[in-house]
Amino acid sequence: MSTREELHELSIAEAGARLRAGTLTSTALTQHALDRIATLDPVLNAFILVTKERALADAERADRELKSGIDKGPMDGIPHALKDIYETAGIRTTCHSKLMLDHVPNEDGTAAAKLKAGGAVLLGKLATHEFALGGPSFDLPFPPARNPWNRDHFPGGSSSGSGVAVASGMVRAAMGSDTGGSIRTPAACCGIVGLKPTYGRVSRRGVFPLSYTLDHCGPLSWSVEDAALIMQVVSGYDPLDPASADVPVPDFVAELGRDLNGIKLAYPRSFFVGVDGISPEVIAGIDRAAEDLARLGATVDEIELPDFELFNACGRVILHAEAFAVHEENLAKRGGDYARLTYQRMMPGAILSAADLVQALRMRSELYAAVARVLVTHDAIVTVNGLAPAVRFDAFPPDGSLRTPGQTIPFNVTGHPALALPTGFAKTGLPVGLQIVGRPFDEPTVLRIGAAYESVAQWTTKRPQLELAMAG
Amino acid sequence: MSTEERRALEQEFDALTARIGAIVPADRKAGVIACCEELRRMTALVHGPRSPAVEPANVYSLQPGARS
Repeated sequence: MSTREELHELSIAEAGARLRAGTLTSTALTQHALDRIATLDPVLNAFILVTKERALADAERADRELKSGIDKGPMDGIPHALKDIYETAGIRTTCHSKLMLDHVPNEDGTAAAKLKAGGAVLLGKLATHEFALGGPSFDLPFPPARNPWNRDHFPGGSSSGSGVAVASGMVRAAMGSDTGGSIRTPAACCGIVGLKPTYGRVSRRGVFPLSYTLDHCGPLSWSVEDAALIMQVVSGYDPLDPASADVPVPDFVAELGRDLNGIKLAYPRSFFVGVDGISPEVIAGIDRAAEDLARLGATVDEIELPDFELFNACGRVILHAEAFAVHEENLAKRGGDYARLTYQRMMPGAILSAADLVQALRMRSELYAAVARVLVTHDAIVTVNGLAPAVRFDAFPPDGSLRTPGQTIPFNVTGHPALALPTGFAKTGLPVGLQIVGRPFDEPTVLRIGAAYESVAQWTTKRPQLELAMAG
Repeated sequence: MSTEERRALEQEFDALTARIGAIVPADRKAGVIACCEELRRMTALVHGPRSPAVEPANVYSLQPGARS
């Protein structure tokens, strides 16, 4: 593992160990990533902006400091990238929108600042659905990111660029945001890991809001361990985020590698089997995963959850009310500057009444309680993520729809941590996956379960054959 | 949704968007109304009966879960 071509295969921990041992420099790691971006991104569109000079300066600083014994933690000298709704001082932050083309923030948001303080190397800003809502739009200043497993297919969203950049090996980990599934859906579509942490675990300050009470910030990464390591850097109480939770930051890595003896898993099979649009390959994948988890020592019990449509309705009413509140003025004055799909998804917020929102909030407390009851007797819930492999771009209707083909929004409604992992591949070669949902602020257990499954399933070791695909 | 219901929804939407001064481009209107229909169906689901004790103060509380 010493050639430049293989550097992107190094995990964050492996690369970090070599940086500290002096057998690898951050500059070499960063230059490799920049070269890979230059080769692959013209056909994948993961990046809106590559911050080459900043990246090389970050890398040189990391090399200098590590050589002199200054160690800023697990992301020191490690390349990463940010969804372009994360504010970055002096670096344009567009939200993938015409409305924000000239927006250059004066300061970093909290997560970006924590990564900088932790010595991480910023490679650039990543594509998203416009304002983290719209859809794969072709009428914006930047093209939509493309799925590295098949470029005619959607990579999931809204953290589309984050999913594509990680899956294609441009970067080992990237930050995304998740309001109804926007970390977990691209993780599923791209065959990688995605963690939506507990609401309040990672600061949202300086991340452009979509829905104040549903937005979560978190990582997409090649492996569970990579996710745990970047979480170690970005987590923590932030008095400048009103939703930030003043709870201790655990050691996210400490539980990795443990078996699952004594772990009790809830498996709500009726929650997804029989749902319109679910793929038999998704069901087969999660059933196999449930068997694997049992073989690893976990007890797996079938349980019931409230109907998904209740979670979906509750989440959608809140999301559209809050998003409309955020965008009302621009929708009125600059409606034509939004992409068609974004506009069609944003404007319906106008028809929601105050009573609609209050009833949704009341329902939210019932749904939270239902999930919390399950997690009194079980350590985690294992359920599906996307209902089917990624669809083709041309499957999106020209006129928008609010539907998303996944079951991710329930855990935005309740705020529980949820980890997305691949469970294999459909016959088409596109990934399918699951999510592991844990107790509030118990990400270490969620990551432990994910790592145990990952170690036997080995799906995250499979990567798209991009060079072959490009040659073809 | 019947034709009459759809027409009524469109009139309601037009009145509400006029209130904020928004002019919806004609070529985007059908898609917006289709999404409004979906949202209205979801809205109906949140209006179900529920206990008076369920109220939105402290919408939910995230406490570290108790282990069994």
